[in-house]
Amino acid sequence: MSNTTLDAPYLDLADPGFAMQSEQLRSARERSWYARTNFGLAVLRYDEVSKLLKSPKLSQGSAKWPEHNGVHGGLFFDWWTKNLLVLEGEDHHRIRRLLNPAFSPRLIKDLVPRFQALANELIDDFIDNGECEFIRDFAEPYATRVLTILLGIPESEWPTIARLASTIGLALGVTFKRDLEKVDAAVAELYAYAEDLIRDRQATPGEDFVSRLVLANRDGDRLSDEELRNALVLLIFGGMDTTRNQLGLALQSFMRNPDQWELLAERPDLGGKAVEEVMRTNPTVTWVTREAVEDFTYQGLDIARGTTVHLFTQSSGTDPMAFPDPDMDLLAEHAPHYGFGGGVHHCLGHFVARADMSEALPLLARRLAGPHLTGGDEWLPDSGNTGPIRLPIGFTKRS
Amino acid sequence: MAQQITVDRQLCDNHGQCAIAAPAVFRMNDDGILEYEDSVDDALLDEVEEAVDVCPVQAIFFRD
Repeated sequence: MSNTTLDAPYLDLADPGFAMQSEQLRSARERSWYARTNFGLAVLRYDEVSKLLKSPKLSQGSAKWPEHNGVHGGLFFDWWTKNLLVLEGEDHHRIRRLLNPAFSPRLIKDLVPRFQALANELIDDFIDNGECEFIRDFAEPYATRVLTILLGIPESEWPTIARLASTIGLALGVTFKRDLEKVDAAVAELYAYAEDLIRDRQATPGEDFVSRLVLANRDGDRLSDEELRNALVLLIFGGMDTTRNQLGLALQSFMRNPDQWELLAERPDLGGKAVEEVMRTNPTVTWVTREAVEDFTYQGLDIARGTTVHLFTQSSGTDPMAFPDPDMDLLAEHAPHYGFGGGVHHCLGHFVARADMSEALPLLARRLAGPHLTGGDEWLPDSGNTGPIRLPIGFTKRS
Repeated sequence: MAQQITVDRQLCDNHGQCAIAAPAVFRMNDDGILEYEDSVDDALLDEVEEAVDVCPVQAIFFRD
């Protein structure tokens, strides 16, 4: 016996008014573990998201993104089809094995003092004003300069990296085809940048992150120059916007939960928990896309090969069936969230993101009391990757 | 010589990153659940150390 999908709730993801944190979504989740959408299925509950995220019956669903947008060639297209995000099977595993050691949590730990110094330097620049535009003055420079620290390039070059990452990020938007020329030009510029960096580290390798990638070796197998370049572009593409947006969303969460902000100010050791709780309840990656590789039946629902399946992160992370008290609580023990995706495609850079955000948030809490919106905030739509574009805030400087 | 390893099943979330890093020791069964060898030959230690490092929830431990 199979359910008919007609009984399931319907969510219009293309509606500009669609909101993840809405009564519409909560009531859909209460009725059903999945919903129909204009882009395939949406999975709403924790247990089902957790299982389907790792199911071998689903592959990463973004491989055909350029084609779905009418883009069939060019530099971005070529890069996209060869990057770790969309590779599957042994092609994916081989690259992942060669990249993994450079992202080891033990190596990331050594960068913590630099993350702290960077956060304090940025805060110093606006703390006496009693206000700032949080994205422009903190989230964007912080996220981008962390990347320059990781890549071992001068931090002063961060505006170039930010500009290129944002331009390439247009490829994920609905205006991709219109922006194609700009996107491809940015990919070309970033390629040249990455190739210079690789040549430099090949000539004089050190102990840094890029040198580790250049020297990465598994049973005699190494990354080719092209694979190295593609990986560096992925790092910049995947590491900048996401961290910037997530920091903005973190501030939003804490402004809604001022007691949690005070707790974090008193207990900087809760920085790691702060990141987990923010990503569970207010993630920038609102869904993880998968595609059925074969026909299969899950919980009585027939899912045909080729079906797009969106695994909803915020919805699963606040599902009352898994989180009876789903509100943000830095002192609670909660099940893991899926804001970094999961399974074989689990975010490669999560140790970096976790480390840098878990340093930034307690430093902000310790120095800024009572952050609040002052008006003029602008937001990305609540689909794909969300977050504030502008976030003007006021606060009191703590002595 | 062999090293003993253990996976904390309370923490393990069956992402399968260990099975990518060290396929000779870790594998995911048809139900997507981790199976592994708890005694590891020294020749495989480098791979296992990578699996320990890469585990998203840091659930793999060497035993004394």
